[in-house]
Amino acid sequence: MKLVELYLDEIRRHLPPRNREDIVKEINSTLLDMIEDRNPNPSQPVDEETVKAVLKEFGAPRDVAVQYGAKTYLIGPHMFPTYVQVLKIVLIVIAALNILGFVVTILSKSSLDAGLFDTIFQIVGGLMSSLFTGFGIVTLSFAAIEWTTPEEWNIKAGEEWEPEQLIKEEHTQKVNYAGLAFEITLTLVFIAVLNFFLDRIGIYYFDESGWVSTPILNQNFNRYVPWITAYALLDIGLNFYLLRTGVWDKFAIIGRLLINVIKMAVNIAIIVGPAIITVSESAWRNLNFDIDIKAQQLTQGLNIGIDIVLGLAIFGLVVESIKLLYTNFIKGKHAYIEISNK
Amino acid sequence: MTDDAVGEQTQNLVQELRRGVIVLAVLSQLDQEQYGYSLMKGLEDRGLQVDQGTLYPLLRRLEEQNLLTSDWRVDTSRPRRYYILSDFGKKVLHEMTTEWTRIKTTVDNLLQNEKEN
Repeated sequence: MKLVELYLDEIRRHLPPRNREDIVKEINSTLLDMIEDRNPNPSQPVDEETVKAVLKEFGAPRDVAVQYGAKTYLIGPHMFPTYVQVLKIVLIVIAALNILGFVVTILSKSSLDAGLFDTIFQIVGGLMSSLFTGFGIVTLSFAAIEWTTPEEWNIKAGEEWEPEQLIKEEHTQKVNYAGLAFEITLTLVFIAVLNFFLDRIGIYYFDESGWVSTPILNQNFNRYVPWITAYALLDIGLNFYLLRTGVWDKFAIIGRLLINVIKMAVNIAIIVGPAIITVSESAWRNLNFDIDIKAQQLTQGLNIGIDIVLGLAIFGLVVESIKLLYTNFIKGKHAYIEISNK
Repeated sequence: MTDDAVGEQTQNLVQELRRGVIVLAVLSQLDQEQYGYSLMKGLEDRGLQVDQGTLYPLLRRLEEQNLLTSDWRVDTSRPRRYYILSDFGKKVLHEMTTEWTRIKTTVDNLLQNEKEN
């Protein structure tokens, strides 16, 4: 009856919360009635073929749930909590970055010249537009994930289903859907910032011509943008592939390793290449901090910091790649041998 | 029009027709309490096949509309949910039976004309 339990679990996942347990209980009771009724030898315990035939006749779990009022959503109930979580994180990060930027601006004396109204206008306007952008990206990527995950395809195609699928699904190494959704969303935000808002990362100050922002990433960084965008897109592609297949197969593992190699190569190129951060002398002076650091010293410090972060990232990538190779090829082989020895 | 198309269209229309009739059929059988599977078997024995994907959600809807009441029985070999007509359901069934007879007579007459032509 293991199969019946797996079947009920799958239905439960799709049912609306209201009356969920009661509905499952009734389906269970009905299935047992049907199985008992179909048992070719009532004196014997029922065989698995009969159970499978009954489940197949009863219908694919998702279809059964839909009959009970499970709806198709833009973002479904099993994805919704993750969506809210990711949305919170993204919005908080965006708000924090904005506020941090403007705290720095206000602390610098230039904002006094701008006048209160202009300053507030600038802060609220900038915050709103970046929050809406963040909200849009998160919502669209979750909607895309919702509509490309395999179960959605099944119901749309109305394909035949096999109870065997329940057993297979239980034993394969499943991917973490919530984690993937999270990664895809953050990567999309990252790509958007990298390609459209790069000049926003900078120093803000006010002078006679109005608000001025000076980017701190210099043109040396521009040459890396296409490469970083490329591996970020590959990352998203791989994550969508994982959402579709639901398991880490050989193709996915090799894909991940290749992407890691590209990431490491880009990081190394940035570390050995020319400095990517320049704090402009005039912008630094305009911020008017009472600290005795020259813009040039600040530039040097920030560049060393970036190199350290990139170095640590390379280390992390190497560790991840080795772990991936070990768990899937070396340890995986052992597991296979152990099973075949039995 | 090919025979296939005729068959397919007929099937669609018959399904639509059945959808309305099933409610009446289900209500008619529930003056005595029954659990889902026994109800399905009973209908099947009398020539009306209803698949479980339709029947169980329907029973729930009818209960939500106060036409049926239900409770779990644990005294049998396994817990089962038994359904029975409520007083409200009995009244509605009575009205619907009258309506059904009227519709049936009218449609029969119409179809009779069709045959004669």
